[in-house]
Amino acid sequence: MPSDTTQELPWPAVPSSNDLPDPAGPAPDPAGLTRRGLVSKLAALGVGATGVGAAAVAVVSFQDEARAAAKAAAPKAAEHAWCMVIDLRTCDGCKECTKACQKRHNLRPEQTWINVYEMEDERGGTFNMPRPCMMCEDPPCLKVCPVAATLRTDEGLVLVDTDTCVGSRACMAACPYEARYFNWEEPLPAKRMPMPNTPQMPVAQKGTVGKCVLCADRLPQGELPACVDSCPMGVLYVGDLVTDVAVNSQGSTVVLSEFLHDNDAVRFKEELGTNPRVWYITGHGQTLESAS
Amino acid sequence: MSTGAREASMRAFGKPSLTWWLVVCALSVVVLDGIYAWTVQLRYGMGASGFNDHAFWAIDIANVVTFIGVSYGGAVVSAILRLTGATWRAPLTRLAEGTAVCTVLVGGALIIPHLGRPDRVYELVTHPNLAAPVFWDFIAVSTYTFASIVFFALPLVPDMAALGEEHGERLGRGRRTLYAVVSRGWVGSPRQRKALAGALGLVSILIIPLAVSVHSVLAWAMATTSRPWWHESIWAPQFVVAALYSGVAIVILVVAGFRRGYHLEALINERHFVRLGYIMSAFALCYLYLTFADILPGAYVGENGTEAVFGELLVGRFAPLFWLFVVCGGIIPLVLVALPWTRTVSGMVVASTFVLPMMWLKRMLMVIAPANFDVVSGDSGRYHFTWVPIAISLAAMAAIPLMLMVLFRIVPLLSIDEIEEIEEAEREAGAAAAAAFLLAQQDDTAVEESALVRSGGTATRVAGVTGALLLSAVLGVFGFGAKTPAEAAAPSGGNSIVLAAQQAARTGAPVLLTAKLADGAGHPLAKAEVTFLLGSTTFGPRSVAIGSATTNSAGVARLTLGGHSKGYHPTTTGPQEFIASYAPTGAEPIESSTNIKVTGARSAYTPAPPKPLDPVGAALPKALFLIVGTVWTLLISQVIRVRRACRPIPAREAHRV
Repeated sequence: MPSDTTQELPWPAVPSSNDLPDPAGPAPDPAGLTRRGLVSKLAALGVGATGVGAAAVAVVSFQDEARAAAKAAAPKAAEHAWCMVIDLRTCDGCKECTKACQKRHNLRPEQTWINVYEMEDERGGTFNMPRPCMMCEDPPCLKVCPVAATLRTDEGLVLVDTDTCVGSRACMAACPYEARYFNWEEPLPAKRMPMPNTPQMPVAQKGTVGKCVLCADRLPQGELPACVDSCPMGVLYVGDLVTDVAVNSQGSTVVLSEFLHDNDAVRFKEELGTNPRVWYITGHGQTLESAS
Repeated sequence: MSTGAREASMRAFGKPSLTWWLVVCALSVVVLDGIYAWTVQLRYGMGASGFNDHAFWAIDIANVVTFIGVSYGGAVVSAILRLTGATWRAPLTRLAEGTAVCTVLVGGALIIPHLGRPDRVYELVTHPNLAAPVFWDFIAVSTYTFASIVFFALPLVPDMAALGEEHGERLGRGRRTLYAVVSRGWVGSPRQRKALAGALGLVSILIIPLAVSVHSVLAWAMATTSRPWWHESIWAPQFVVAALYSGVAIVILVVAGFRRGYHLEALINERHFVRLGYIMSAFALCYLYLTFADILPGAYVGENGTEAVFGELLVGRFAPLFWLFVVCGGIIPLVLVALPWTRTVSGMVVASTFVLPMMWLKRMLMVIAPANFDVVSGDSGRYHFTWVPIAISLAAMAAIPLMLMVLFRIVPLLSIDEIEEIEEAEREAGAAAAAAFLLAQQDDTAVEESALVRSGGTATRVAGVTGALLLSAVLGVFGFGAKTPAEAAAPSGGNSIVLAAQQAARTGAPVLLTAKLADGAGHPLAKAEVTFLLGSTTFGPRSVAIGSATTNSAGVARLTLGGHSKGYHPTTTGPQEFIASYAPTGAEPIESSTNIKVTGARSAYTPAPPKPLDPVGAALPKALFLIVGTVWTLLISQVIRVRRACRPIPAREAHRV
């Protein structure tokens, strides 16, 4: 039966804040479901049906209990809440971020986990807009995965377990930021020593999905993600909402909350309620009004 | 006419003709080619089928929807017409139900080539995400498949008994054994008839909401995303009507094929086709209306994304295909049914031949247009057909007649018992014996519409179930014990700066930073801007400016962190390094740092408030499991009910039958 993703995975336990919420209220009254005139004749049958239904509810409840237990065991709050700030005012569209990302994750050229879009501003001019994974706090991609292969760590990273991914691409349909890329073909051969496949540092597998991981393997070491590190303009900041600090490649270290506030930072497609953890600082005339 | 149905059924069991063999061989080649194409896709990846990141869903989804959709024909012709007492259905039900079983099996199987990792499909059972529409697709399709099989199998019991009894020697050994097993104990006693009729009635009722649920959930797999045109509330009912429409069309084609192949003209005549044509035209109108209702609001309001997608559809790249659908998939079939001189068997067959590929085309457009649309840039991607998905689609198409041709060499292709029962009833009602097979008395072509309204019952709904955010801010870390001020001096150039940091023993007490600035002679420096920094370790050792202050006349600059002060507040407890920096113009900056163990801190992160519908989403899977469990129990119990009625009955009752 369904089990909590977080309990089976070999990396540190992740509280399932992102999974199904807690059981809410008592189970629906089984009698209500069998109250069809037709079934009245089949009383015994109804009892059987209720039994099966109740068993299903029991299984679901068990799942919820397991989750609650996992939740209780997990620390109350994460030490970090990773995020990004992208200062569009200085982005010149050189795509060094994309190249560095592709090199680090051994991606095919069309797999642009951080993609630099050319957008139109209010006056018909263009500006460049790097788009990594938004690491939504309420990720649509996570909800739609039929096999729970997308997970969210307690530090807010939305990751894919490519050993579970069944390749349904439901997440690609659901992502409002087009941030997911599929391995339509055999991935490029590994250039370095083969590393174990983890959600934090995935090794591409044909027929599974991939996306920006914000270099989840680097962050605990205090290192910058490849894209942030490589940006020659210091456009990309990686930040931590808990310790309230953000840094870029140019040695700029800022108090995150003040930086966002002072620069009127905005989030892309705020109206969708995904609560992305990527903020944009827009220049004059630049709007994040998307195509949809 | 009782021998008519039996004789006609036996006709299919004779030595197969050369044509039969040729057709079976040809269809098998097409199916094998499709399987080969799938192995090519497995080997080289989905890219071999023309997919890319801007066409992530395409032909496979359209195929699944189409093939599962046409299986609704069985539900309409058999279940709805049974429930409404339309007796003319009798010679068509077996063919319709058989088509339903074959098409739903093929449609369900078509999910497999859609998956990037079909070897992991078992995870839908072992590792499911109950919040995912695709998971409920799987539940709905498997439940509906099981119901279709039960609905197909139950009426076989009396038919197999009848044929086994009358034509046992002509059946051949294999069929004879099968028939004996299936119909074991069936003697047609009133008790048995009552059990069978009750079971079929219940399954007929169940299969309608099940059929509705399957296409609704298929639609919701798309409608629960935020893509333009997919995110539409009308999609589920529109999918259901599309399925009914194409379902009737395939029944017309299958019935026409078998009627011709096995010479069933005596049993199935033109009026059957015309009535099916009427049903089909009702669904055609309904579907055209829903298509219009689907597009109008979005096109009228004209939001960026929706307008772009509808632009492609109505006047852009997809326009020729869309208008081809409107004309060939909607108007031409309607005209063929409407005109008296095309309201014939061949006219209906032609209409159905238009409907089926055009409905596939419409679904293809519904999948591909929003999938191609890049919701960030507004650009449109391209799906490139390759031979691989075309071969797979053709194979699925060929598999239907192939399975039906084989199936109806095993089981009787007419529901003999139903035909005879209705004949019997009508004879008793004093109806004149007709040479042709009976057609219903009541004219109920509009019946399916009322049934449709009723069928909006148990539609499984997968609401977006979201995770409540666990991360909560650590408020007021309790700390006791006053800290002695730590001090450090850093003379540089002429000036000197000394930073002191202090935190009171109270809970959540603010950290007080005091920097004392003096010139080379030791006199305090007034009106100088001192910057305070914090040593951050989050991204390696770095210092982050957390505020600044101007020195007073005593050369002292103060900054309060936390408490009621605005600006930066400590976010983590434990030892922390604070730095005071003074950078006069034209001179080297001077710094002083101090370490203090911060006791009062709170996370700077405030999680978003929980979503109000989360509890509803959490309760929904339980309710759905309860419904699905009930449906399965009811279905299984109907099989047991009929089997139990077939048990040898006690001797005292035996003489009554």
